[in-house]
Amino acid sequence: MAWLIIWPIINAIGRTIWRPDADGNAGFNLSSYTFFFSDQYSINNLTITLWTTGMCAALLLAICMPIALYLRFSQGRLPAYVQALAIFPMFVPSIILAYAFIRVLGPNGMVDILLNWVGLPKIRTPYLTPWGPVIGLVWDNIPLTVLILLSGLGNIANPAIEAARDVGASRFQVFWHIILPRISNSVLVAISFAVLGIFSSFTLPYLLGPASPEMMGPFMNRTFREVNDPLNAITQAVITFCFCIAFGLFYVRSVARNQGK
Amino acid sequence: MSDLAPARAPIDWTGIAFAALLSLVVVVPLVVVGTWAFTEAWRYPNVIPQQFGLRFWNQTLTRPDVWAALTLSLQLSTVVTLLSAAICLPAAYAFARMNFPGRTFLFFSFLAGHAFPKFGLLIAIAAIFLQLNLIGTFWGVVLIQLVGTLLFMIWIPVAAFQGVDRRMEEAARDVGAGPFRVFWSVTLPQAGPTIAAALLLSFVGTFYETEGAWLIGAPGIRTMPVLMISFINNQMVIQFGAVLSVMLWVPSFIALMFARRVIGGGAFARGFGG
Repeated sequence: MAWLIIWPIINAIGRTIWRPDADGNAGFNLSSYTFFFSDQYSINNLTITLWTTGMCAALLLAICMPIALYLRFSQGRLPAYVQALAIFPMFVPSIILAYAFIRVLGPNGMVDILLNWVGLPKIRTPYLTPWGPVIGLVWDNIPLTVLILLSGLGNIANPAIEAARDVGASRFQVFWHIILPRISNSVLVAISFAVLGIFSSFTLPYLLGPASPEMMGPFMNRTFREVNDPLNAITQAVITFCFCIAFGLFYVRSVARNQGK
Repeated sequence: MSDLAPARAPIDWTGIAFAALLSLVVVVPLVVVGTWAFTEAWRYPNVIPQQFGLRFWNQTLTRPDVWAALTLSLQLSTVVTLLSAAICLPAAYAFARMNFPGRTFLFFSFLAGHAFPKFGLLIAIAAIFLQLNLIGTFWGVVLIQLVGTLLFMIWIPVAAFQGVDRRMEEAARDVGAGPFRVFWSVTLPQAGPTIAAALLLSFVGTFYETEGAWLIGAPGIRTMPVLMISFINNQMVIQFGAVLSVMLWVPSFIALMFARRVIGGGAFARGFGG
């Protein structure tokens, strides 16, 4: 069963680097990679993917870290409500989310209706621009990021924070010197997961994003299905693996560490 | 007693701000979709629909493509969940309880699906399916959707089996119960609810799986999400998509709420290495 994952990857790498050249002689051949990196359209797609992934990772940290900190250090009904809301997007399939965003942020959507209602001009809709997938992907990834950060924050002992407060440390100093060093691993895991999920995401970029340049997910899909060019589609897949390998290795290491506990 | 404390507690402004902001961002899009599903006419710039009604429910439910997609999606999810359980549950038990050569390697190869960008992995699998003539077939979609269930169906049951009190099993064995009897009467009742949650997550996750179904199945194998994509891209009647969203999502949402205990716990985040 595990071969359903490992074999296709080995196969994909093998098929893209060891294949027939123009004369039909099989051998080491990197021409599909050369094509990718010399084709401006492919480069643009890779650039927009890197931009979207980076932007989403930064936004996710900026949004989820305060939520996780609040949840870790508060008790009662209100934090429980906040936690339920933060985890809620996990229960919403991305296809329904995409549809909901089009109805809210799309042309003449709910945001436009409300802006018009209060006498403000329409916004330039993020739908079908690079910001469309960013908004959808951030929404979609909030639950896991909050949960992973919260899991890391759970390992911080209250006395450590109280001791720092006692000697006059401000909230920021406590966060920077006490909390952050202890949850750096969880932050990296959260970022790894977000990057691995977002880099080759398909549904939200396909439905909310621009047609050109497109993210690697829709690009691979189009190359495979519509252009009917499996070789270049696999090449694109291997390139996405290479860009994400550090995050993948980090994920495996973290799971391994948790297994050892 | 409990009435005294809140009266003196300061107002939790941070909490109120988070609650208000998240309510707005998380709940409003779904409320808008829900409203569209029960709307017959809603023209810009009216803040509320001009006419509510169930006409589009009737129209959506009489469409043969909706019924065909629903039946197919239910068949696929059932087959994938059963296959995944048949493969993963014994493996999870072995990972949780036994020490055998290559255990670590095998365990990580099961989890490896999440260490790669998913769509890239699907493309790599699709390239092999192309050679095996599995593109556009029911079993092709089953196999590709199996990949997505592996993490839940391995990690959560492993945690469940590890959480079973070993002393109770030993006590049962001491009074003469055989291994099967111990598993059936002691291990399974304790691990059962968590495993049921994993099955539920797997079923609902497969039902909504879009990427593999679209890449391998479309256009021949048309699951509900694939139909939704075509409704979003090509359908002028907004309500069809809204009705489908409400119709499909609400039952799954209620089912998932039963699995919330597993997700809310720390074990779930630890499964991702958190």
